Amino acid sequence: MEAALPLIPLLPLLGSALILLLGRRLPPAAPGLIATATVAASAAVCLALFPLSAGEGIRARLFVWIAAEGFAAPFGLLFDPLSAPMALMVTAVSALIHLYATGYMREDPSRVRFFVLFNLFVFAMLLIVLADNLAILFVGWEGVGFCSYALIGFWYREPKNAAAGQKAFLVTRVGDVFLLIAMLWLASDLGTLGIREINGAAPALPPDTATAIGVLLLLGAAGKSAQLPLMTWLPDAMAGPTPVSALIHAATMVTAGAYLLCRLNPLLLQSPAAAAAVAAIGALTALYAALSALFQREIKRVLAYSTMSQVGYMLLGAGLGAVGAALFHLIVHAFFKALLFMAAGCVIHLFGGENDITRMGGLKKTKRALFWLFVAGVLCLAGAPLTGGFFSKDAILLAALSRGGWFFALLFGLGIATALLTAVYSFRLLYLVFLGERRASPDAHPHSVPRAMTVPLWPLAALGLFGGLMNLPGGGLLDGWLLPLAAPPEPASHAAEWALAAAAALMVLAGWALAQRRYRGAAPAPETGAARAFRSGLFADELYQRALVRPFKAFSRFCRRVVDGRVIDGGLEGGARLLASSGGWLSRLSNGSVSRYRLALGLGLLGMLGWMMVSVLWP
Amino acid sequence: MALYETTFPWLSLVLFLPLVGALGSALLARWPAACRALSIFASLAELGVVAWLFLVLRAGGDGWLLFEDHAWIPAFGIRYTLGLDGLSLTLAVLTAFLQLVAVLSSLGREKTRVGLFYALLFAMESGILGVFFSLDLALFYFFWEVMLIPMFFLIGVWGHERRRYAAIKFFLFTLIGSLLMLLAIVALVVLHGQDTGQYTFSLLALRGTQLNDGVSHALYFAFLLAFIIKVPLFPLHTWLPDAHTEAPTAGSVILAGLLLKTGVYGLLRIGLPLFPGPAAESLPWLAALGLVGLFYGAALAFAQKDIKRLIACSSVAHMGLLAVGLCSMNAAGLEGAVLQAVNHGITTGALFCMIGMIEARSGSRDFERLGGLWGRAPLLGGFFLFFNLASMGVPGLNNFAGELLILIGAFRAHPLLGALAVGGMVFAAAYTLRLLQGVLWGPPRDEAPMADLSAREALTLLPLAALVLLLGLQPGWLQEVFRQSIRALPLALGGGAP
Repeated sequence: MEAALPLIPLLPLLGSALILLLGRRLPPAAPGLIATATVAASAAVCLALFPLSAGEGIRARLFVWIAAEGFAAPFGLLFDPLSAPMALMVTAVSALIHLYATGYMREDPSRVRFFVLFNLFVFAMLLIVLADNLAILFVGWEGVGFCSYALIGFWYREPKNAAAGQKAFLVTRVGDVFLLIAMLWLASDLGTLGIREINGAAPALPPDTATAIGVLLLLGAAGKSAQLPLMTWLPDAMAGPTPVSALIHAATMVTAGAYLLCRLNPLLLQSPAAAAAVAAIGALTALYAALSALFQREIKRVLAYSTMSQVGYMLLGAGLGAVGAALFHLIVHAFFKALLFMAAGCVIHLFGGENDITRMGGLKKTKRALFWLFVAGVLCLAGAPLTGGFFSKDAILLAALSRGGWFFALLFGLGIATALLTAVYSFRLLYLVFLGERRASPDAHPHSVPRAMTVPLWPLAALGLFGGLMNLPGGGLLDGWLLPLAAPPEPASHAAEWALAAAAALMVLAGWALAQRRYRGAAPAPETGAARAFRSGLFADELYQRALVRPFKAFSRFCRRVVDGRVIDGGLEGGARLLASSGGWLSRLSNGSVSRYRLALGLGLLGMLGWMMVSVLWP
Repeated sequence: MALYETTFPWLSLVLFLPLVGALGSALLARWPAACRALSIFASLAELGVVAWLFLVLRAGGDGWLLFEDHAWIPAFGIRYTLGLDGLSLTLAVLTAFLQLVAVLSSLGREKTRVGLFYALLFAMESGILGVFFSLDLALFYFFWEVMLIPMFFLIGVWGHERRRYAAIKFFLFTLIGSLLMLLAIVALVVLHGQDTGQYTFSLLALRGTQLNDGVSHALYFAFLLAFIIKVPLFPLHTWLPDAHTEAPTAGSVILAGLLLKTGVYGLLRIGLPLFPGPAAESLPWLAALGLVGLFYGAALAFAQKDIKRLIACSSVAHMGLLAVGLCSMNAAGLEGAVLQAVNHGITTGALFCMIGMIEARSGSRDFERLGGLWGRAPLLGGFFLFFNLASMGVPGLNNFAGELLILIGAFRAHPLLGALAVGGMVFAAAYTLRLLQGVLWGPPRDEAPMADLSAREALTLLPLAALVLLLGLQPGWLQEVFRQSIRALPLALGGGAP
């Protein structure tokens, strides 16, 4: 059984290779089917092996990858109580998204390229999840960066799309730099990059080192998870086909940062300062993104900011040491966010490619099933009582509340405020898209939605709505399962639990009421200045353009024109001219006889070469 | 088979076999087709011999795997001493392999004087191999010069628009370095002779020379200059973008893949071991220059309009990182640097090949005129993407393995050095993505059909791609060939393991 562990990542890779090599010779539907089947098979292997992950879990060592004196990175996989549920979620949700993609991409001429990359994406994510050392994790880490690049820019004829893909790769690579520095530091201080070894040896690290490494990990996670200050790539990542958005936001990529911080949580908790920084970045990003989501006009951008906001909650949980709660929210979020994105893809199809929610409305009348599926997603996202999102978000907020101290009380306050905003923007989306009058331009004619695009939504809706059963308050299954790795949450008083649940429920109701008053039926009012600021994510793009991108471009032009052109070459040429004007052999070089001179020298040297050959061979 | 006990002159065979190719090409100059056939055959034969030696000797352990020593010019104490250890073996295989790539990528693109073209290409191969094998400084200098002349002509005769300028610049830069080195060699031999009464150019004998402080600094500086012009390190790199860009494809492949590596090899084999004191003092400065070059080269690459020049400038960045690894003076950094010398030869060689293919199809290397290649020639686009990913250090492909070891070594030598060097990753991504954006994506510039890779082109690229994967996943396979040799070099190795 254990020997089957490598199959989990290798099956999607195999699918990718098969499609790459054979894709063009097979019938048009084959690439999608191969891709879906291999990922589903990987999910099945995951499920079959799941019991083995209990306690210590199992490890597979395949080969030594990179090694030098005092350092070795074996190609190893670790299937333990943290990676097993994560891997199961990744493969299962990805399989559903793949199924959806077979419908979505059925007429695209570049299906082969799409599914090669789509499977590769899942493979890279599984490497992150199952890596037993950070070097292997880093392979997946950069791998998802590349796959997101290639998939966001999938429709590459439009330079805007390619630019969005480029931005995703570049911004997340800034984060990768910090992760790699943390890895170098760990490798040189602890002599290992093994995840279990690092967590075991973490208490031996000096406090300052632990803090520095913790902050580096946070920056690394912020890149992939689109957290402040490296969040700007995510809203643009909408340029890709919708299944790509679903995959990036739900199953792969964006959750990688939160997962990393859970994976190395014992190391992170060595430094209270670094852990607090993680929690603070998470809470701030949650609020920032929720505010921005409130003012977006494109359906996928609303969802993009909502992902950023929800991942912020996960970071808050990880920073609080509530690994169980963070993982819980990560998994439940994957269910309902995949649902919402894929439903949004159907909505966009039905409005004939329209992305702007101010030009939608009234879809409930014609598409009842889709409406109810979307309602399920919205309820989970808003955290309506008894849905999965309610329990998972509460678990994180409870952890913040029970920590005590003004700092964590403040973070809790940010979290609750975000919950209110989340409810408002979720219901806003629902009202503007499905209710009220149809505002679409009459000449937008809907595309049909194939069956493959609706079938995967049902299981996801069920998983999202009932995901709470996985980890009910007061000693949940997931918390118990994670016991070997993470301390269970501090038992909070029942009064606090109930009060929090009531407050959270109140936020949902208040958000709903606000959204209903503002957006029900009414056409959206013209945008104010503040709204425009939030819609642009507080001008973060503009800021980075001015502070980093333009200076870099100016610097590189300066290097080419001034430093290389005038300073170095100019100086050397001036020197040469000076020598030449003083006569001597150099002046002969600078006029036309150079090649004759060199030819003579060359012949002379070749002659010497010949002489040497003769003298060696016939001594 | 105990090859190292053999009396057969394997090294001389390897060294002179390309010369046979050169002579043959020169004699067959009237029949271009015969020249090309002979060139393919000769480079295959050479690669066959070297690869066979590599497979037989790769587990040879430390010490000289092959050694030849004959008197050559007794009057001056100059001997014909060749030695092969794991380090030179590694670089010799790279040489023979890239020679084949260079020949394959030139077929039919030589334009004029086909015979002379291949003759020069093979003469240069002999020179490069001679540099890697020589253990006598006079012999070393001789080969050092031999490899320059063919390159001068390759650029000057078969190059692109500004070939004359580039050839003369290349010549002047390297000439200044090598003349200083010649002076230093002679001075060293004379001083050693006065000291011991024995006048010899033997590298191994000269290692023990007692020199006073000022003299050893001056001599080291002369050697250093010759080598770091070749590497090249900032700010002595400005010959490189011109030479690489103006050279014909084969010339660019050999320049980037091999000539730059002779500078690295010279530092490792000669410069650092001959003058351990001044060398140790210079390491922080060299590391700083490498670091500056890493960022500077990348920024320079980003600003280019010509895709070939962009790749050329990226070499400055790659070699800067390599120098950082070299200066870390520990096992990880040095092994990473040598690994990276090979990796850079493979990926940059492949990229220069591909730029030749792109230029042959679209008639341009200008960003303004390229774009949308993916839709028109997907196989070409796929290979181009693949080698670019390797070049920007995506893990799992070859460059990352070398870079990771270099970074680990640098971090151990000085945490700040390692941490700063990591930042180069973002710069590398910036220029690589710009290149991909400009060449592959966007709307096609014209709808005229473009031929995808021909069978010969695909056959040229496939072995390169296979090596990118092999060395990306199993760098140890190559590392163990040169690991002992590096350890055996008389370098003041710093702390390795924690």
